[in-house]
Amino acid sequence: MADFIQLLVSGLAIGSVYALAAIGFVIVYSATGVVNFAAGQFVMVGTFAGVAMLVDAQLPAPLAYSAALAVMALFGALFFLVVYLPLRKSSVVTIIIGTVAIGITMQNAALLTFGSWPFRLPSPVEGRTLALGGAIISTHALGVVGVTAIMVAGLWLLFNKTTVGVGMRAVAQDIQAARLMGLKVNRLLALSWILAALLAGVAGLMLGPMWFADVSMGDPIALKAFAATIIGGFGSLPGAIVGGLFVGLSEVLGASYISSAYKDLISFGIMIVFLLVRPQGVFGEKIQDRG
Amino acid sequence: MAMRTPLALAAAILAVGALLSFVLPEYHLRLMNLSVISAIAVIGLNFAFGYAGLISLGHAAFVGMGAYGVAILTTRYGWSPWLAMPMAIAATAVLAAVIGFPLLRLKGHYLALATLGLNVSFYIVASNWISLTGGTNGIARIPELHIAGQALPGERQFLWLGLVVLAVAAMVASILHASRYGRAMIAVRDDETAARMTGVDTTVVKISAFVLSAIYAAIAGCLFACHTRFVAPEDFTYAHSITYLAMLIVGGESSIVGAIFGSVLLTFLPEWLRFLGSAYLVFFGVLVLAILVFLPTGIVGLGRLARRPPRRPAAPAPVRVPEVGS
Repeated sequence: MADFIQLLVSGLAIGSVYALAAIGFVIVYSATGVVNFAAGQFVMVGTFAGVAMLVDAQLPAPLAYSAALAVMALFGALFFLVVYLPLRKSSVVTIIIGTVAIGITMQNAALLTFGSWPFRLPSPVEGRTLALGGAIISTHALGVVGVTAIMVAGLWLLFNKTTVGVGMRAVAQDIQAARLMGLKVNRLLALSWILAALLAGVAGLMLGPMWFADVSMGDPIALKAFAATIIGGFGSLPGAIVGGLFVGLSEVLGASYISSAYKDLISFGIMIVFLLVRPQGVFGEKIQDRG
Repeated sequence: MAMRTPLALAAAILAVGALLSFVLPEYHLRLMNLSVISAIAVIGLNFAFGYAGLISLGHAAFVGMGAYGVAILTTRYGWSPWLAMPMAIAATAVLAAVIGFPLLRLKGHYLALATLGLNVSFYIVASNWISLTGGTNGIARIPELHIAGQALPGERQFLWLGLVVLAVAAMVASILHASRYGRAMIAVRDDETAARMTGVDTTVVKISAFVLSAIYAAIAGCLFACHTRFVAPEDFTYAHSITYLAMLIVGGESSIVGAIFGSVLLTFLPEWLRFLGSAYLVFFGVLVLAILVFLPTGIVGLGRLARRPPRRPAAPAPVRVPEVGS
């Protein structure tokens, strides 16, 4: 039982990170229709922004985290200008390849800057644990789940209670109508990219202490985020959360109870089954062939 | 139309290829071999994506099935490569049909992510089914190819074999493209409902395009296994699938010549960027993005642009009829 609680918490923690990455992916997809294959690299950039501020620059934690997130916001804006705007009229496949290509650039730029040696990103609650029902649980893992819950609540408020958030939803629903209503469409689109980058940044900062910060960490995260969005429902925010937690849990529980070699096959197998049987996922859009 | 274009295409491939095989240094011959192998796979992908509009991010899995088929049959069971190759290709075709039947109901990015999942699953199985595939260590010592009792002694001789296969592959693709089957695929891509209304069995067309693309991929995989004489899961990741798609788009979507140009360009581009030192992959990504933005119709589009006065391209995928095969 103690083992199970430990696995459950670490599964939820990893799942929270996947969920945040998946939410960023979904926000961009709903607003712009872009299937962002660089989504995993966004998380990698977030982790390394943390490495640069906490490990290299040795800034105090609150300042370091704010600086890392500021870097991510800038990065999202840059991606909007350099990748999204030139490609926005292209076909789905061209955009997929374009984001993959720029993902290669990001990964190798990180490799040049930080080297191939993995970093250890410290956690603000480094080394602390909690005893819960006989199980020893890392405070960091619980913190990750807590921060994710706060982020999700914040997003809900943003999209439901603020003018900007409602505007972003309007743009996602019908860009022409939104423009006719006098919304500043380009500004809202840029904001979607910045928001996605910030979420990826938070995910990266929380993932750093759980995994090692390694420049090739982006691709596995992207694949898990894709599986999460398909399982939860393409284009659905609650779906991204449920899907992310599910993928994280199936990975951690599957590794210890079924097979550690095939742990990833479980989430991808379930993803393919969902695609075949229920392509709209748990919460997703009804249309099967959108995009 | 008849046989003129396909034959001219095959002749051009053989002539240009043979010429290059005499002037290029040994290391570049190796890259030429890899380009030719990729080109065969990409011409195959052109059936699925270029003609039928099926976004596949799992093409490398079929290349891998062909390669592993040859590797397993020759090293475990002692088959001759010449016998193992048709067997591996047939097995891949059957698998593609079995996989395609349920998967091809999906469209757009759903199909893209489903095929991506397929490729990832292939990688996981190939890395972990150690008793069959050797796991991440792969399978080494694949026997070399013999022609008329003679082993192919070097890169140049292998390139000649590769060029013949490529020429035949391109010729067959060109004939199919001009035939009613090719037109049916393009009709499905442009408007599935309209195609169905005119009596095209869209399910059969999509599955045949997918199986055909897998057969080309398996041929490429067989050549890869015999050329490198070593296969490992790392050679068939989803990143390779995306590279194949990039080769097709960069060369010129739904063009056989474009598929070949794109394969050669993206195989050699990293080499040409070597002077940038360790930063070359940073520029590689930016360059590919620049090609996508500034040359949306690919290298082939550049040639057409030069021949014709520029005009505004129609917004949706335009219907391109026979001249594409040129």
